[in-house]
Amino acid sequence: MRKKRWVPWVLVGPALLIIVLTTIYPLLAALYYSFHKYNLRRPPQFAIQIGENGIQIDWSLLSFNNYALAFSDSRFINSLQVTFWFTVISVALSVIIGLFIAVVVQKGGRLHTLTKVLLIFPFAVSPALKGYSWRFMLNENYGIYDLLIDQLIVGPINALLSIVNALPIVEIPLISESIVWLGDKFWALFMLAMSETWGWAPLIALMFVGALGSIDEQIFEAARIDGANRLQIFFRVTLPLLRPVILIVTMLKTIFSLKMFDQVVTMTGGGPVRATQTINYYIHQIGFVRSLDIGYASAMSYILVVLLTICAALYVSLVLNRD
Amino acid sequence: MTANTIGQNQSSLRLKSLKALETLALLLIIAFIVLPILWLAITAIKPQEKAYSTTLIFSPTLENFEIIFSDTSVIINEGTDRERGEVGRNMFPSVLNSVVVSGATILIAIPLATLAAYAFSRYSFLGNSVLLVWILTTQFIPAIVVAIPFFTLFRSITLFGKPLLGTQMGLIIVNMSIVLPYAIWMIKGFVDALPGEIEEAAFVDGCNDFQILFFISLPLIRPGVLVASVFAFIMSWNEFLFALIIGREMRTMQVALMTTSGARGIMWEQMAAAGLVVMIPIFFLAMFIRKNVVDGLTMGAVK
Repeated sequence: MRKKRWVPWVLVGPALLIIVLTTIYPLLAALYYSFHKYNLRRPPQFAIQIGENGIQIDWSLLSFNNYALAFSDSRFINSLQVTFWFTVISVALSVIIGLFIAVVVQKGGRLHTLTKVLLIFPFAVSPALKGYSWRFMLNENYGIYDLLIDQLIVGPINALLSIVNALPIVEIPLISESIVWLGDKFWALFMLAMSETWGWAPLIALMFVGALGSIDEQIFEAARIDGANRLQIFFRVTLPLLRPVILIVTMLKTIFSLKMFDQVVTMTGGGPVRATQTINYYIHQIGFVRSLDIGYASAMSYILVVLLTICAALYVSLVLNRD
Repeated sequence: MTANTIGQNQSSLRLKSLKALETLALLLIIAFIVLPILWLAITAIKPQEKAYSTTLIFSPTLENFEIIFSDTSVIINEGTDRERGEVGRNMFPSVLNSVVVSGATILIAIPLATLAAYAFSRYSFLGNSVLLVWILTTQFIPAIVVAIPFFTLFRSITLFGKPLLGTQMGLIIVNMSIVLPYAIWMIKGFVDALPGEIEEAAFVDGCNDFQILFFISLPLIRPGVLVASVFAFIMSWNEFLFALIIGREMRTMQVALMTTSGARGIMWEQMAAAGLVVMIPIFFLAMFIRKNVVDGLTMGAVK
């Protein structure tokens, strides 16, 4: 209806310019740095020099050394592995628990409605604070989680085990009640993923509640009339219908998990012995805390960019092909 | 008793136990969600000597809040960050920093995002949908890649004789990279939902594009713009990586949380108090935009 071609560009222009400056510029600059020897302690020497004779390029200053270093650096490989496991655990738990919460709270009385309102709570807690509060609660001496886990989970299991052990058949060792959660390599990573799950499962539940609400009630009714029980309805009707949304949410959460940084700083500090050093955390350590090697940090962050680009492409194709 | 009534009793018993199971599940979910927040709140009002225990018997106090907002707290920071060995201090400047940075971020981002969102929704121009998807994908760029070049850039750019690194201005600039794309997508959702007939009518009556935008459409999408502003405010308030790398000594509240650690490790009762200060305003804002958070986070991909 409206003819003026330039109008949308005037409206989009300023926002677009700022997005380009704050995302494309750093992407290009980081790529450029990644081919250089660039340490914050020394003034960098860049390959492209703009002088009196125009632009000069000194090719000898460019190299793939930083990338080569990354793949021979056992700590970087370690950070890839840590990030992989963190992502797998946190995505799986967030999506499964989120789905469970959504199915439970979706329909019902006041308690259901109250729970639905509470689902937004973790969103208000910043990731940095989340890390601190979990670290506090998992403390082996005065942490409330530590106490609850020992009393409600480890205690009963051990009681059961001692009964089994009383029979002269097998001898199963009891679970220690003095596990230092953040001092153990496996548990530290698991608890880091749990803190992430605490923040995300309720939000993912909200996403599923929305998706469940848009499913035609008659489909469930038909399944019930056909004699399907609750479990059958969940696995044969609900789950297949939610599949597109589950895929999208899983992919989105994977991307967020790969980028995770804040809680590592506040909850575990990468420890114990680098067991929770995610890629982002290791890059931060190299670039800004320890060796101040910006070139190397840039190269590693570009490897992360490649990983995320693959995920982003998958995500976008999922979203676009949905309808 | 006939066989029939026994069957009925059994099924009602099954129904009852199912209901009980569901209630149990709900209570577990509530505990899972609320416990960390509740425990933070409890610890914040515990006297220092009770904070390092799980006891629930204590006389509530506000002294932790007094400590974090006073200049007298002498806490030597040893562990967390080797680069700076600093002394724990009044958190009030950090609250101010967070308010200024988040406030300025939305003051700049939201008007620009609103105009862009409107154009994306109402005009078909070359590259419209490609640009929109591209804006979406900028969210998948890891923040550390944005932080590295801006760190080196802001180290060399000076403003009023001071480097931009470690200033509110520097942090506001990098915050744009995360806030603008979300805001555009969120507001676009609200514009899309607005029927176009009113604008058509205004056009027929002789309004030009900008008159329609400013006098007809904008007033109608104001609630949506408000929601997007709140969402963007929460994003920049809770942002940590940029605040740590670019904000540095200009500590926002997220970074100031780290200054509660002292010789005995983290002073948990102070951390909890500071945590509440960080959380409570966001808590109310989050409740206010409760129905829109999912759309915001997923940029409308899950509906």
